[in-house]
Amino acid sequence: MKRNALSPGVENQIPLLGIGVILVFILLAGFAPYIVRDPTQIEMRREQNGRTITPPYPPSQRNLFGTDQLGRDIFARVIFGLRTSLIVGLLVRGVSMVAGTLLGLISGFFPRIIDSVIMRITDIMLAFPVILLAMTVTAVLGPGLVTVCVALALVAWPDVARLVRGHVLSIREQTYVEAARCVGAGNRRILLRHVLPNCMGPIIVAFSMGIPGAIMYEAGLSFFGFGIQPPTPSLGSIISDGRGYITTAPWYPGFPGLVLTLLVLSVNLVGDGLIDALNPRAAKAVDSRTSTA
Amino acid sequence: MLRYIIRRLLLFIPILIGLVTMLFVLLHILPGDPARLMAGPFANPDVVETIRQEMGFDRPIWIQYLDNLRRLALGDFGRSYQSRRPILADLIEVFPKTVQLALAAEVTSSLIGIWLGVIAAARRNGWADRLIMTIAALNLSFPLFWLALMLQIVFAVSLRLLPPSGYGAGFDRFVILPAITLALPSLGLLARITRAALIEVINEDYIRTARAKGLQGTLIMRRHILPNALIPIVTTIGADFVRLLGGIPMIEIIFAWPGIGKYAYDALVFRDLPALQASVMILAVAVSAVNLVVDILYAFINPRIRYV
Repeated sequence: MKRNALSPGVENQIPLLGIGVILVFILLAGFAPYIVRDPTQIEMRREQNGRTITPPYPPSQRNLFGTDQLGRDIFARVIFGLRTSLIVGLLVRGVSMVAGTLLGLISGFFPRIIDSVIMRITDIMLAFPVILLAMTVTAVLGPGLVTVCVALALVAWPDVARLVRGHVLSIREQTYVEAARCVGAGNRRILLRHVLPNCMGPIIVAFSMGIPGAIMYEAGLSFFGFGIQPPTPSLGSIISDGRGYITTAPWYPGFPGLVLTLLVLSVNLVGDGLIDALNPRAAKAVDSRTSTA
Repeated sequence: MLRYIIRRLLLFIPILIGLVTMLFVLLHILPGDPARLMAGPFANPDVVETIRQEMGFDRPIWIQYLDNLRRLALGDFGRSYQSRRPILADLIEVFPKTVQLALAAEVTSSLIGIWLGVIAAARRNGWADRLIMTIAALNLSFPLFWLALMLQIVFAVSLRLLPPSGYGAGFDRFVILPAITLALPSLGLLARITRAALIEVINEDYIRTARAKGLQGTLIMRRHILPNALIPIVTTIGADFVRLLGGIPMIEIIFAWPGIGKYAYDALVFRDLPALQASVMILAVAVSAVNLVVDILYAFINPRIRYV
């Protein structure tokens, strides 16, 4: 079954394109202070063609993406926002992967009671509307970068736990596990040396497929004011600030959203490439929840 | 089959208790005094104290928790802290509006998605196929809230074709923008699944037979290919409906659609525990119910599957 209509040669190039875009974004975000100007610098008046104009200024050579209502450079703000997005995406997915993998391993390997307890907890978490749960958690902990990561990791681990448990259940019955047990390996050794390495394919795919979701939920939370707080820039809060200017300055909410879309798209393309490369069919189930933001 | 359904329904109970417990704990950690919030910023301390006693906020926390559970078990959602109205009455008002929006979005995405998939499969490897599949790959990546904003700019602000937000009479001009925003991200997936399912069937022997006996292309598609490709498509629509329910709170807030997602959001902002827990419970039941219906439908379409 082919998922893509493009010819095989081109199909293989697409994930590379995604990797390219991500690399550019990482470089921009990493060297942000050396590339763009100060994203907090305000400029309330400007001379142009002999006239004095007030912000928001439209895109020009000086301000690639235009400026906001205070004359702050949107390109600079977007680049710094990209930084936040990348940090949140990797951190949230990293934490939720570790937690989900551990719980999935335990759930799939140990007696039924532990298994049912963990699975019922995932049932509860999965029944909770994601964005409402994340909003409630950030409301409780107080908004900010760390709390957003905690909230999003909290809603993201059950998927991973389910996925890993499913694989553990089938691997557990394999002969090599039995063999390891026969030569006297303990539970911990079997789990870490025999079961876990054989789940790695789907885990890697789930890792990459979950990053876009984390990035979009962070942007969504910040958009509604439940996420990253100023002065830390976030793509979601820039878009939210720009809402009031959609008629007079469409570039204000427009460009941050385009960059966000491009970032998420690139990560998705890499994920698709990884699925093709590793081909664990079950891992595809993970991406059903990633696009709700 | 019946036993399977009953067992699935029984699983709701621990899930709902878990949800209520989680919300109760979270909202009690939230700083702020509900009695003071209800009384308003300028109330005198006596009034606040009266409200506190009336609502039972002065009791030990575990008694409040057990009382809360007991009432919910009896089907009593309580009264909203915010409006003082019975929550059940509020829910009866807001829930149908969410159903309207969800149905409008799902019907839109299913019809267009399947149609695109059929075209792509029929003209496999042609330019239409390539175009549709490329767009399908892009579709999944739009952040919903941004998509909503852009559609508002184009269709409401610039073209003035549609109202930017609000609620009219259910299925009217007001539903178009939120429904399309919700539907767009699933179009790609549906088109992809439909195309793959169709192509798998097209390669079957009985399609060649149909073609060999001189049947017309469209007739083969309608009579032989589509029905046989239905299983993955229906499963995808079901999974997509669940995804859509997850996105609905966000869309309702942005488009000021007075459904259950917006109701829950308002309750959260006001720390209105009874209203929040009731609306989250309803949303959770809705998601689980859709999952259950999909599983049952699946068994009907594919008689080879049986549940024990």
